[in-house]
Amino acid sequence: MAPEDWLMFEFNTREPVYLQVVRHFKQWIATGRLKAGDTIPSRRELAVLAKINPNTAQRAYREMEEQRLIVTEGNSPSRITGDERILRSIRTELIEDAVDQFLMLIKHIDVSTDELLELIRQKHAVNRSGRETEQ
Amino acid sequence: MIEVRDLRLRYFRKPVLKGVSFTMEKGQITCLAGLNGAGKSTVLKAIMGLVPLDGGSIRIDGTETALHLAGNRRDLNRFRVQHVSYIPDRLAMPPSMKLWEALRFMDDFYPGIWNGGKAKEMMTFFGLGERERIANLSKGNAAKFNLVLGLALDTPYVLMDEPFSGIDLFSREAIAEVFSNSWLEDRGVLITTHEIQEVEHLIDKMVMLKDGVVAMAFDSEEMRLAENKSIIDVMREVYRP
Repeated sequence: MAPEDWLMFEFNTREPVYLQVVRHFKQWIATGRLKAGDTIPSRRELAVLAKINPNTAQRAYREMEEQRLIVTEGNSPSRITGDERILRSIRTELIEDAVDQFLMLIKHIDVSTDELLELIRQKHAVNRSGRETEQ
Repeated sequence: MIEVRDLRLRYFRKPVLKGVSFTMEKGQITCLAGLNGAGKSTVLKAIMGLVPLDGGSIRIDGTETALHLAGNRRDLNRFRVQHVSYIPDRLAMPPSMKLWEALRFMDDFYPGIWNGGKAKEMMTFFGLGERERIANLSKGNAAKFNLVLGLALDTPYVLMDEPFSGIDLFSREAIAEVFSNSWLEDRGVLITTHEIQEVEHLIDKMVMLKDGVVAMAFDSEEMRLAENKSIIDVMREVYRP
């Protein structure tokens, strides 16, 4: 990724910044901008690129190491894991989070599952065809 | 670590600090918040030994530096200068000086502490020209140059009084970048600011002054994690009348 791509722009001030950094990484992985085995910036480099506190970068990397999203061997730079199972689970996790949020939003609206699914089917098809014409 | 304990100070018989206690650590950005007149700047000045205290203790890496508790004023001043760099809320250099003259002044005045190479790097980063005269600097550039003078001193601690006040958005953003890069690496930073939005995501620890004491101190990431509260949420709870 180009240096400016690591910039995360706006942060939600009510959520720990290190967790937002982890989520950015997961999104980059799920969307294919980061791939298995890719090297990532050092903690210090990430702090400068993303304009965050170096302690936050440190904590985000520690969290990603614990979740086995990234691996750091000896003195070599950290890499995105090559473990396909973990990479697939990130994609599932992001989709599930988004669906949970969506369901929270419509919790109080009276709508049947069928109606909802039909709406999603239509809109999703439109989105996908839009994305294909973009590409 | 700098440990401030039970700091007391009166100003024209009016108590300003009524027992202020907090700590700041190396490798962390600590923000001292408070409404106007709460005594934020006074606390920084007290750490620098610039105001006479009525009581309390200030330990810098274990050494007592409050004059009424410690010994020789000259030894103390030397110790402070080697350990703490104080960046006041406005540039304290004569307006007639050119920037290169001010840099040389710092080199003469702080031998062994002034890091000329670092100063040059920062001048380039901020786009400051050495041939400019201080009097002709814009507010934003004066604030940046003020920061260069303070940060290029190789001290383990840095105190910054309102580094963002009264300057434009892009200067504020440029200054905020300093908190991410290596010029502050492993140093302990204490900052006072009204413009909390600019640095909210960069702060490790908040210390909130109110009515002459520390009303609350907390780790900002822990606050977000445990209570889903932003720093501004907590400030509203503590300061809203």
